[in-house]
Amino acid sequence: MGDDRLARTFVELADTLVDDFDVVEFLHKLVDRCMELLDVSATGLLLGDSCDRLRVMAASAENIHLLELFQLQNHDGPCLDCYRTGAPVSHPDLSLATDRWPLFAPAATKSGFRTVHALPMRLRAQVIGALNLFHTDAHALAPEATQIGQAMADVATIGLIQERALHQHDILADQLQTALNSRVLVEQANGVLAERHGIDPGQAFTLLRTYAHHHNQRLTELATSVIDGTTTIEILPSAPATGPDQ
Amino acid sequence: MTEATRADQVWGVVAAHAETLGVPVSLRSLCQAVVARLPVSGVAVSVRSARVVSEVLCAVGSLSRELEELQLTVGEGPSLQVLAGGPSVLVGELDCAEAQVRWPLFAPAAVEAGARALCVLPLRLGAIRVGAFVLAADRPGPLAAQDLAEGWVFAEFALRLVLDEQAGIDSPGGYPVDDELSGSRPEIHQATGMISVQLGVGIAEALSRLRARAFAEGRPLSELAADVVTRRRRFDPEPSA
Repeated sequence: MGDDRLARTFVELADTLVDDFDVVEFLHKLVDRCMELLDVSATGLLLGDSCDRLRVMAASAENIHLLELFQLQNHDGPCLDCYRTGAPVSHPDLSLATDRWPLFAPAATKSGFRTVHALPMRLRAQVIGALNLFHTDAHALAPEATQIGQAMADVATIGLIQERALHQHDILADQLQTALNSRVLVEQANGVLAERHGIDPGQAFTLLRTYAHHHNQRLTELATSVIDGTTTIEILPSAPATGPDQ
Repeated sequence: MTEATRADQVWGVVAAHAETLGVPVSLRSLCQAVVARLPVSGVAVSVRSARVVSEVLCAVGSLSRELEELQLTVGEGPSLQVLAGGPSVLVGELDCAEAQVRWPLFAPAAVEAGARALCVLPLRLGAIRVGAFVLAADRPGPLAAQDLAEGWVFAEFALRLVLDEQAGIDSPGGYPVDDELSGSRPEIHQATGMISVQLGVGIAEALSRLRARAFAEGRPLSELAADVVTRRRRFDPEPSA
């Protein structure tokens, strides 16, 4: 990976942080950049909720199988191990990992993934979530890439704290709940758009993100106005919404 | 191992308390369990309603109802902020200049009534602002981290009980701790959005209908939601309406 691209990514992410902050868009952008910089096949970012269950905040593809895998990790899987211990967890060949993760390993293999890396999102002593990187080949992530991946996980953590500072309340649980709730809000808006336009929720998410970007609007604010009907997003006949963002 | 067990533990407390009282789990029995479990004097659940800014759905222990009604009287206060969409409000000491600047009418009156600390957590699901979960104490001091963490879990169960009531679902004897509502199930929220368009109703009403239907059919919420998202099921407006 080029140093230039790496530098540009961190500058871009830092810009997002100081600007009008939008947690869902920020984490999605971070996941997108992980895909480019680390050359992985799939990425997911999960946060722990008030019950300490992991919930998907952003994923590289709104792929059902991928989401199922993440959900499975509430009971069994590298992301959960990483979240519990606060240490990175990886496996170079999931087809040989059934002893370790009896549910997750076969499911991941069946979905075509061979390698997994789970990197902790840590805030001092507390682990707030984990970044999951999947690869379809059996090969270990280069040490340099692991470091960059961890830096991305750290940036994600800083992003969540940054918003806390902006709003001047001092409780992490509230920040995490707010972030998780933003994700729910966006899914509700995806549903509204999907029904209005006869598209699937993944396409609706692309539409929502694109519109927010073009109109310089926060994703959560746009989602709210889509849900209450104050904003209607039209699809131009010449530019129909195409497939999901990946 | 701490994962998932905090929810199990808290649900255990809620279920055990209801059993001691010989009643099914309800919002009221949950609030009573909170007062017994956490160092607070009172617990209240306030909800937004069509007619009024805020309605006290349930209040247990001392101070709880007074503080909610007081806020309605003076027109300001932490619960009203949370009901309006604000973040959680944690006040370790109401009897101080900072609190009085923040709420010039509410803070002195609350102290007069005997309250010293407050913790107001939002009951919210995406765009659905359901209400506020209020913990009040007659002694100053913030809740310990562990107690606050449990407070959030109690609030999550309270949210589901309020939603059950709104969906007309009878409180089941044993509540599924592993409820899918707030888990990583995007299809539930996507289906809610779709149903709101199909029926031409608000997002809260759409969720109520979805949950009521799943309950009536005895199906997991996520399964019915997946059918809606993949367009195997539609919700049509009732012809009589």
